Amino acid sequence: MFSLLYRMVRDRALAEDLAQETFVKVLNGIKSYRPEFKFSSWIFKIANNAAIDHLRRKHIDTLSLDGAPSAETPDQMRATSLQLGDRAESPLAEVENRELGTAIERAIARLRPEYRSCILLRHVEGYSYEEIADTLDLPLGTVKTYIHRARNELRVYLEDRRD
Amino acid sequence: MTDNTMHLTTDEIELWAQGLLPAARAIHLADCSLCRVEAERERKIILELVQLPKFAPNAGSWTRVMAQVKVHAPSGDWTA
Repeated sequence: MFSLLYRMVRDRALAEDLAQETFVKVLNGIKSYRPEFKFSSWIFKIANNAAIDHLRRKHIDTLSLDGAPSAETPDQMRATSLQLGDRAESPLAEVENRELGTAIERAIARLRPEYRSCILLRHVEGYSYEEIADTLDLPLGTVKTYIHRARNELRVYLEDRRD
Repeated sequence: MTDNTMHLTTDEIELWAQGLLPAARAIHLADCSLCRVEAERERKIILELVQLPKFAPNAGSWTRVMAQVKVHAPSGDWTA
């Protein structure tokens, strides 16, 4: 669950805060858990909601290395793009760069948050499509579409890098 | 019954990448260079994803969580 949060927000301290928030919600709200759901799916649902809420609140989906989705001109893209070296002086930023600095991690960071959740649950956490649909409250077809598009986008990002 | 001239679907490519593609469809894959190229590309991405490391929070996080959780005391009171 921490891995999912960390890859969603790409900030170790923030991911720890969100993980704590998730566990506090889980432990304090244990009576609202419905046993027909897998317990781990319930935890992932709370964690993912926390991450998505945070990303929406802070507009961190502009984490895209190419700039905000709304950026249309090169100037706008530059102004809103993430500079990975910006925080390199801080030891925590160095850890994050080491942990999340590989090509595949950087490609994942460029995905839309919804695609990121789906692809991470599928291939990193090993969830089935049905479990992802339950966890994220999405129709099964949408989950399949998101995962397929996410893999295609990852391929394009990684091929760009190799060119 | 599946027509063996049909190209693999994305679901089937994922099954193949996991070694779970039914033999009948694997025959198509063996004969179809388009599907083989596509399947190889998908397998590379899937392999990169499944090999990603798991991360753990720093020690001490759990203590901070437990400090915020209401514990049901034997008296029936809830304490933070």
